This record gives sequence, C-alpha cells and structure tokens, in this order.
Amino acid sequence: MEPQLSGYWNPYLETLDRDKLIRIELKNFREQMAFAKAHSALYRRRLEGFEPGDIRSLDDLKNLPLTEKEDLRLAQLDQSESIYGDLLGVNPAEVTTFRQTSGTTGKPVYVPESYESWQWRIEVWCHILWMAGFRETDRVFIPFGYNVYVAFWEGHYAAEKLGCEVVPGGALDTKGRINKIIEVGATGLFNTPTYGLHLAETARQMGLDPRELGVRRMLCAGEPLPPATRSTLEAVWGAEVYDHIGGTEPCAWAAMCRERSGLHLMEPFFLVEILDLETQTKEVEEGELGVAVVTPLGRRSFPLIRFNTKDVVQKGGHGCPCGRGSMRIDGVTGRTDHLTKIRGVLFSPVTVEEVLRGEFPEITEYEVTVRKERAMDGISLRFETREEMSEDSVKELRARVGERLKMKTNLRFRISSVPLGRLPRYTLKHKRFKDLRGLEDHES
Amino acid sequence: MSLELDLAQADLVRAMNQKILEIERAVLELKEMGRGLPMVEKNTGAIQSFIRNLKFGVSDLADVLNQPES
Repeated sequence: MEPQLSGYWNPYLETLDRDKLIRIELKNFREQMAFAKAHSALYRRRLEGFEPGDIRSLDDLKNLPLTEKEDLRLAQLDQSESIYGDLLGVNPAEVTTFRQTSGTTGKPVYVPESYESWQWRIEVWCHILWMAGFRETDRVFIPFGYNVYVAFWEGHYAAEKLGCEVVPGGALDTKGRINKIIEVGATGLFNTPTYGLHLAETARQMGLDPRELGVRRMLCAGEPLPPATRSTLEAVWGAEVYDHIGGTEPCAWAAMCRERSGLHLMEPFFLVEILDLETQTKEVEEGELGVAVVTPLGRRSFPLIRFNTKDVVQKGGHGCPCGRGSMRIDGVTGRTDHLTKIRGVLFSPVTVEEVLRGEFPEITEYEVTVRKERAMDGISLRFETREEMSEDSVKELRARVGERLKMKTNLRFRISSVPLGRLPRYTLKHKRFKDLRGLEDHES
Repeated sequence: MSLELDLAQADLVRAMNQKILEIERAVLELKEMGRGLPMVEKNTGAIQSFIRNLKFGVSDLADVLNQPES
C-alpha cells in the first residue's frame, strides 16, 4: 500500500467526499429500512405507512419516528416466542451471540447478534482500532471478565482480526493484572477510564511507575471520557489514550483518530443525526449541542432505525488533518437522561468529573449525592485524596473545590473528605453520581 | 490532506468489486454443493459474512463511483 494510505483501514472509503458518503448512507438506509419492515415485528408496526423510496435526502429521515430505549424494552415484554421479543430480525436459529445492555437506566435490553451481524460490528471496531494506531505488532491486554457486555468483546475480536495479540485479563485481581501486563509485555490496554486510573493507582501502591510498564496506547470504553480525564490518563500512563462512543444497541458509532481532537462519525456504517435537545426534530448547526440519533446500516439480527442514543454531543465539522471525510463531533457532554434539575438548575454530572480531574490532581476518587433535605434539593460531594493531608490542607482544598464547582455548576455543594480507599472503585460503568430524591420519596 | 480517488484507484475499486462478486458466486455454488455437510455449510456461511463486509467497504463505493454525480 502507498505510504500515505497506511493510516487507514479502508483509505478509499474513509477519505471519500461527503456527497458520496451521504449517497452510500442513504442507499444503505433504504435497504436497512426495507429489511427492518420485512423482518422485524417492531418495525413493521412502527414504519407502517412509510416506504424506503420516501427517503431521498437526509431531511426525509425526520418524518420517521425515533426509536427510544423504552420502545425496545416494551418490544421485549412478550418473550413467548423468543427472549428477544419483537426485536429479532433473523430466524432465532441464526443468533450466535447474546449480549445485553447494562441496565443502568432500567430493565436491560437483550441484544441478539447473528454471526453476520457480529462480524459487521467487528469490522466497525477494526476501523476504530486501526484509526487509534493499533497494529499487528501490539499485544493488547484487556483487564476484565467481559461477561454479557459488548464493548470489550468487540475490542477483543477486532484486535484479533487486525492482527494484534490479545491477552484477556479476567479472573485476576488488579495487582494480578498489573503483574500480567509486565509478564506479557503488553503495549496496549482496553479499559474503562475509571479502571485505567485505578490500575495506575494500584501500580504506584506496588512501587511501580505506570509510565514504565510499556503501555503505549489505550482505548477507553464503557464510560464518558471528559478531556481532563483523558489528559490525566495520558499523563499517568505515558500513553496515547483514545476515546470512542457507542452503545450495546447501535454499536460504536464515533471514535478518535490520531489527532485526538473530537471524534469521527463511523461513516458510512451509521447514519447519525444530531438533533436539537428540545424538540429532537431539527438537525443542529456546527458547534451546537444536540442529541445523537443513530441508525446502524448493516446489522440485520437487531435492526434499529433512528435510535435515540440520548448522548448529548457537540456537532463538529467535517474534514480533519487526518484526511478522513467523515463528520466529527467535538465533544460528548453527557446524556439527556443524566441531565437533571437541582434547585431549578440544569446539572450534568460530567461537569464535576471535568473539574476534579482537570484541576485537582490530588483528588483520586469522589462521589456525588443528591437528596431531598426537607423541601430543598441538597447536593454533596465526598472525595478521597491521593495522599494523606493535614487538616488545614484538606479544609483549604474543600474550599477551593467548592468555589470551582459553584462557578461551573451554579450549585453550592456540601463537601467532605473521606480516608483513602473508603469510596468504591469501579471496573465497568461507574456510579459516582447518586440521585436519591425519588428513591427516598418512594421509601418514605 | 484529501485523497480524491484518481482514475487508477477508481478502476482498482471497480476491479475489486468484480472479484468480490465472483467470490460470492463461487461461495454460493460451494454452499449448494455441500448442502447437508455441516463443515461446508458453516464455513461457507462464515465466508458470506466476510463477503458482506467486503461489499460494504468496496462494492458500495464502486456503485457510487459508477453513478453520475448528483
């Protein structure tokens, strides 16, 4: 391959101009819509009266209904014929892989993959890993038992397909995993941001400098990765750290290139719309925040049309020094279902992470809790510091943190520090934000 | 950097598409010949999944190159 093309998994497709990309996406959208209507009971109902031929431009998509996560849950209520309910797009005998959502926002959704659909997901991930610089020479360590959750399975199979040597790291404790990274000479890691930080913290407790373990590249999954946390991970590991965004239902639909500035939509595998937060009917302009609505264009066992991911992103432009023609998103600011009002103020938990990881390196772990205190909402922050500090220093730190959070969120936090190791550590999705208002109302 | 496909590259994409279609036909024939043999049926089924990815990455592109500009 010509040297200038070696940075791409599929150079001709990845550098295609937007007009051609969109033509491919619209063609595949019509095919996927026709398939969904013919094979999925859910979409036979939902798309009644709409025909694939009606979709001639991106604007035409806006006439079709959005698919909400709750729609998927409802479609799986009746499991008399299949545990996948009305969502299955293929004969049940063709399903080869069971995955499910984490259940963070309600009852988990079961996601069936045929061998073909699973390979389609793996192909998307090959693009992601190649774009992040993973190559045949990498030995990738994945410090998890993957269970029924999809991301690390996808990463595992895709890394294998592109020629990396994959070392699965389940059934070990964190110290055992660090020893395994050293033993095998791992050059790459796939982990959640939280666990990447925890691994580094544990390595230091073992008297090791994470920067000297040989890890050159890390791909994060499973949680939001604010820029401050990504920078922290790069600093503590001395490695390039890459982000992507996706979910169990649609697959990973945007990822970072070597520029590590914003994320590229994985076009033309997905047709992604960024819609206004209020009405979710209009495409937002470049630079504006919107919610991502995603249609995977090649999966038949679990067809999804216009899936509302609830991910709130900042729409970027297209064109990038890396040469890819895909549209970009400049940031992921949270999820619409994580945005909450506290004392009338719209609050996103990601803001706290951004402040603490970006400005307070002495804080190693934290937890935010919201609860009703008489008639008012109260928000509190508990944190741990990396090293023991004097009472005066902690007091001063609490004051500085409170001031910065007030400035960033317009909320006054009740802040306390707890001894190192008191707060929970998470391996998969973290639960650092606890909104107990409804729960305590319910319990009382 | 922008990599607009030159004529030689466009021809290469079209030629790869032809080869993918030939392989697809050959795999279908083999699958039919091996009907009832699990080893043949399952392996050809797996190959079909990879062919679909090749079509996604190459044939779609060839199709759009063959269309007049809108």
